[in-house]
Amino acid sequence: MRFLIIISAVFCYGFVDSKKIRGISSSYKRFYRERKSFLCIDGSKIIPFEQVNDDYCDCEDGSDEPGTSACPRGRFYCTNLGFRPHYIPSSRVNDGICDCCDASDEYNSHAHCQNTCWNLGQRERAYVEGQMRTLDEGLRLKQQLIEEGVLLWREKQAQLRELQQVAEDLQIKLEEHRRRKHEADRLKEQTLKALEAADSGLRHQNSTVTSIFELLDSNKDSSITVDELQAKVALIHDEERVLSEDEAVALLGGGRQMDLTKFRHTLWDILTKGDSVKIKDTHGAPGSLVGEDLHLEAADRAAKWEATNLKKVEEAYDTVNMEISDLRKKLAIDYGTDWEFLFLNSQCYKLKVYEYTYTLCPFNQVTQKNTAGTEVSLGKWGMWAGTPKNQYSQMVYENGEPCWQGGSRSATVTLTCGTETALRSVKEPSKCQYIMDFQTPVACQPVLKQRGIHSEL
Amino acid sequence: MAPVLLLWLAVCLSGTWAVDRGNFKTCDQSAFCKRQRALKPGESPYRALLETMELTNTRLTLQLINDNNKVRLLLELYRLQGNITRVKINELKPLKPRYEVPDVLIREPPTEPLSLLSQDENGVVLSLGAESQRVIVSARPFRLDIMEGREVLMSLNSRGLLAFEHLRMPSISSCKSLLSLFASQAAKEEEEKVEDVMWEETFKSHSDSKPNGPSAVSLDFSLPGVEHVYGIPEHADTLRLKTTDNGDPYRLYNLDVFQYELYNPMALYGAVPVMLAHNAQRTTGIFWLNAAETWVDISSNTTVFGKMLDYVQGSSETPQTDVRWISESGIIDVFIMLGPTPNDVFSQYASLTGTQSFPPLASLGYHQCRWNYNDQEDVQSVDAGFDEHDIPYDFIWLDIEHTDGKRYFTWDPHKFATPKEMLQGLMDKKRKMVAIVDPHIKVDSNYKIHNEIRSRGFYIKNKDGGDYEGWCWPGSAGYPDFTRADMRAWWASMFAYDQYEGSMENLYTWNDMNEPSVFNGPEVTMHKDAMHGAWEHRDVHNLYGFYVQMATAEGLIQRSGGVERPFVLTRAFFAGSQRFGAVWTGDNAAEWDHLKISIPMCLSLGLVGISFCGADVGGFFKSPSTELLVRWYQTGAYQPFFRAHAHLDTPRREPWLFGPENTALIREAVRQRYTFMPYWYQQFYLAHRTGQPVMRPLWVEYPQDPATFALDDEFLIGRDLLVHPVTEEGARGVTAYLPGKDEVWFDIHTFQKHNGAQNLYIPVTMSSIPVFQRGGSIIPRKMRVRRSSSCMEHDPYTLYVALNPQRTAEGELYIDDGHTFNYEKKEFIHRRLSFANNVLSSVNLAPDAQFTTGSWIERIVILGASKPSKVTLKAADGQESQIEFEFDASMSVLTLRKPGMNSGADWTVTLQ
Repeated sequence: MRFLIIISAVFCYGFVDSKKIRGISSSYKRFYRERKSFLCIDGSKIIPFEQVNDDYCDCEDGSDEPGTSACPRGRFYCTNLGFRPHYIPSSRVNDGICDCCDASDEYNSHAHCQNTCWNLGQRERAYVEGQMRTLDEGLRLKQQLIEEGVLLWREKQAQLRELQQVAEDLQIKLEEHRRRKHEADRLKEQTLKALEAADSGLRHQNSTVTSIFELLDSNKDSSITVDELQAKVALIHDEERVLSEDEAVALLGGGRQMDLTKFRHTLWDILTKGDSVKIKDTHGAPGSLVGEDLHLEAADRAAKWEATNLKKVEEAYDTVNMEISDLRKKLAIDYGTDWEFLFLNSQCYKLKVYEYTYTLCPFNQVTQKNTAGTEVSLGKWGMWAGTPKNQYSQMVYENGEPCWQGGSRSATVTLTCGTETALRSVKEPSKCQYIMDFQTPVACQPVLKQRGIHSEL
Repeated sequence: MAPVLLLWLAVCLSGTWAVDRGNFKTCDQSAFCKRQRALKPGESPYRALLETMELTNTRLTLQLINDNNKVRLLLELYRLQGNITRVKINELKPLKPRYEVPDVLIREPPTEPLSLLSQDENGVVLSLGAESQRVIVSARPFRLDIMEGREVLMSLNSRGLLAFEHLRMPSISSCKSLLSLFASQAAKEEEEKVEDVMWEETFKSHSDSKPNGPSAVSLDFSLPGVEHVYGIPEHADTLRLKTTDNGDPYRLYNLDVFQYELYNPMALYGAVPVMLAHNAQRTTGIFWLNAAETWVDISSNTTVFGKMLDYVQGSSETPQTDVRWISESGIIDVFIMLGPTPNDVFSQYASLTGTQSFPPLASLGYHQCRWNYNDQEDVQSVDAGFDEHDIPYDFIWLDIEHTDGKRYFTWDPHKFATPKEMLQGLMDKKRKMVAIVDPHIKVDSNYKIHNEIRSRGFYIKNKDGGDYEGWCWPGSAGYPDFTRADMRAWWASMFAYDQYEGSMENLYTWNDMNEPSVFNGPEVTMHKDAMHGAWEHRDVHNLYGFYVQMATAEGLIQRSGGVERPFVLTRAFFAGSQRFGAVWTGDNAAEWDHLKISIPMCLSLGLVGISFCGADVGGFFKSPSTELLVRWYQTGAYQPFFRAHAHLDTPRREPWLFGPENTALIREAVRQRYTFMPYWYQQFYLAHRTGQPVMRPLWVEYPQDPATFALDDEFLIGRDLLVHPVTEEGARGVTAYLPGKDEVWFDIHTFQKHNGAQNLYIPVTMSSIPVFQRGGSIIPRKMRVRRSSSCMEHDPYTLYVALNPQRTAEGELYIDDGHTFNYEKKEFIHRRLSFANNVLSSVNLAPDAQFTTGSWIERIVILGASKPSKVTLKAADGQESQIEFEFDASMSVLTLRKPGMNSGADWTVTLQ
């Protein structure tokens, strides 16, 4: 009788327990209702119900052994009350390692597993909350940065327009200056030609006798003296030498001075027809040519002036154009849908990892500096290389310094959500291939937030 | 001709990137080899002085005289237990002692009585015991012939190539007497040249001072009736050794060869001077116990030229292989193992040098290695990767970068700041780690290991008496003298947990660079005139790596108080290295030919006792294609030592980096390995007990089938698994030779039955690994593949019973704790499983052994069965019960459901 009671108790227990088949989630309970037989979930086979969880694999799909390690393709459901439920491969059931935080996977092993779900749950919740806060804060900052980005974008656009305006103005100016320089050059040319023509014609004209006399008569006393002659007249074959007193006296016809009348008949002829002396090529001088020379000088000066001006304008124009092209290049980079990454453009971020200091200058380059101070390029800005869903989750920097085994260094930067913008980690899993974790609010995605909320629910 | 052409092409193509041959000597560049090889077969100048013969119960001694220079040698001849003849030749009165290799033989080999059968002035005949085996010692010229009945098994000095360069004073006159050796061959000016290099020689910028002058030894062996010789690893060559008439001899000189070339006789990292000779009637072996640089010439009268000659001359000459050994110093000490079966030769050799150490079970699992895992975080993430992708592994490895500046026994203070934390993390998952410990020690007065070795005077000395220094990974480095027992004891003590900081019981060791590798030394190794006490490095070179591994393994044993089995991987090795752990084939490359060569390289090692062999999966240098990587995993999963490894400069190649499809293929290969772990373990137990190789050439099991003699693209694991891995790029099928005229083989995946003695074409896809179970065998497997082998310890067994045409099968089941030496104290289960007359039974093979296991028999799969009406289990206590079963008529597979008996119990299962 007692036996029967035990039997029925066991039976009842078994019946009740059928709702608690080990290793299944509540959504799978319907497959495991207590019946005489069990149909493998894939429908491949019918087995007696006692063979469910009897530590022998009957079903190809492993569905008869959700609670044991018998099936190679099976999975075990950790309920993990207080934490997140999840599946583990059946091979982790009773393998001596605690996998489920509720210890349900090690029901028949030497492992002493504690139920850590509540703690884990706490930690997870705290973590998720932290993450949420980070996300909230990150998204707020991101919004700011987007706004700033838009402003910055506009500012840059304005800057571009401004520069373009400057360039246009400069273009006009440049043309004007080119024209003016051309004009000045032409003028100079003309003067020069005129002068050349005068070389043969003007020398004999009387009117010039007086002017030469006046030129030589430095103190304007209507008389040329030895001193004055020494100052203004030189030997043709030796311009440097100053005339001696005797030579000057000889030129003055033996006297120490000479008036205009005597000059016209003596020295004038010597100066214009002879080949021993000439008027010194001093500034503002040459005798009867003084008037023409002054013109030439002015024309020359004007041409030089215009050339200098043109050069200045040209330089300014080039500079502005360079700035425009730089800015255009920068603006051609994809800074995200809302230009949220624009603010990173002129920034650099450093991180020291073991013996190296890494510097990431977004959209520009990545470098590595060792303790000895040698700097190596790990790559120049290449492209966005994230997932199709979010292409802004990863950046690639390419064509860094070559590696000795061939190829060149490159860096892949993964962007993650955070409240600060900073380089978080750098790794070199394979030689010359760097992986960086870069945290910034602009990587925060509102989608994530929703998912987070769902998982918490 | 086609294979020759292919070979030629392969060599030429591989030549574009491979080894810089100029760094390594040819025979011509090695003075003694050139000298000795100049000596051509002819009448030996040596004569046996029969009047000096002394015969005791255990040995015969006899003086030999060289009639050219009157120098006398002493011949010792022993008959050893187990059908081995030992021939020792030394100078009768050397100027100073010549090196005799210690520590390789596990003991002084026990002798058996020799008896004199007859004697006259021409020689003596000695009996080698039963089976009408005799040794004939001929006096003039001296030669030895080992006979069985009327058949000559082997002849020594029959071609007159015995040469013994006696030690002499460095004076011209004494040189002359040596030169007279060559008088018949060499012209006067040649002699001068020879004389030049006898007392000093240079190679590239290195000079070898050779203070002892010439000291080479050489001897020839003739093997009538033999066309196939094997062994003398390590060479990247075919299983069957080639004749060397048209090139260099096979070289045995442990060298760190950068990017080695395939299919040539160049020396590699290790040397085992053991050769096996085989024909359909008999297998014999020659063990040339000499640790100096050695060259082995092989010639045959059945090469193309020889055969043509036969044809032209109409000769009926039997095939013959002639072998010649040349060593730079030491003595002639040769063990002639007379078989007659392959297994006899294995046990004969094992009786001399010992058997494969019995490895911890986990070391037969999968090993994940890379130069380098960068830091603890890296290790953790790789470890997590295996769990995430559900791929089992047992060991993760750390190469040299884990140390603090290449100072072994230390950890990088930043990258591996808390090694015990890391090791504990692995231990929590029942996994283990191997860290590298190389024998070059950084010269740095702040490094404890260096200071201790220096202050104890343990470093090898240079020729001038100072500590020898060479360049290796740490820069300037000293090399501890591992030939000293006191040095080895000290080294072993450094593995104690309190000495090796950061070490734990799940940390094991890898000895690399132990040839030794010296970056700035001649041929990237140590100067031959460096000194190990009284001996030159020349004498001991090939032993160095052997001793390094010996001392390291001893250290791992001692740290556990003698309880735990060690695991030590070595790159350099010598005869006897099998006693200390595993070897791998060094720095191979990610190329299909390197995958192919892994088979003959490990087969050759197995033949000479070293069973625990593997090649870097994926290839060390260069980057494998995904297809090659997958095929390598599939091959490696069926080779004894299963480790993936990669060079520092290669991209990452953890199994999950090649897309989900390839991850699945690799996972499947690794999982197959783990299901066979009980079989692997059992094979290693057998190897440990008997010396039989785990990975075997087919001819070992089918010695009378000539079709198997040259096969090296497939192999056996034990007797019962035949593996023909796919090693061709883009393969659509492979042709496997299934041996055994009356045998059948079962595809382990489909259970399809194939007849033996046929070439079977097997279509393959990327997931195919052609493996067959021999009909007549029973293989225990564990089908619940878990994270690591330790996690599977208590798991139940599935027995795969493959019936032969007689409907019988036999197998064994060996179980112990998997990691201690307690099996030596009889703590194990060893059972014979046999199927006959429709009854499968388990009987105890070791009734005096004691071990309890929780493992039970969960399933019995009988291949080639017919459908029973009833299956009855009879337990040890006599209880009978019915067992449910399923029968697949299409493949004749009978599956017994959950018989449930304990694996250690007696039971019978009857099919009715």
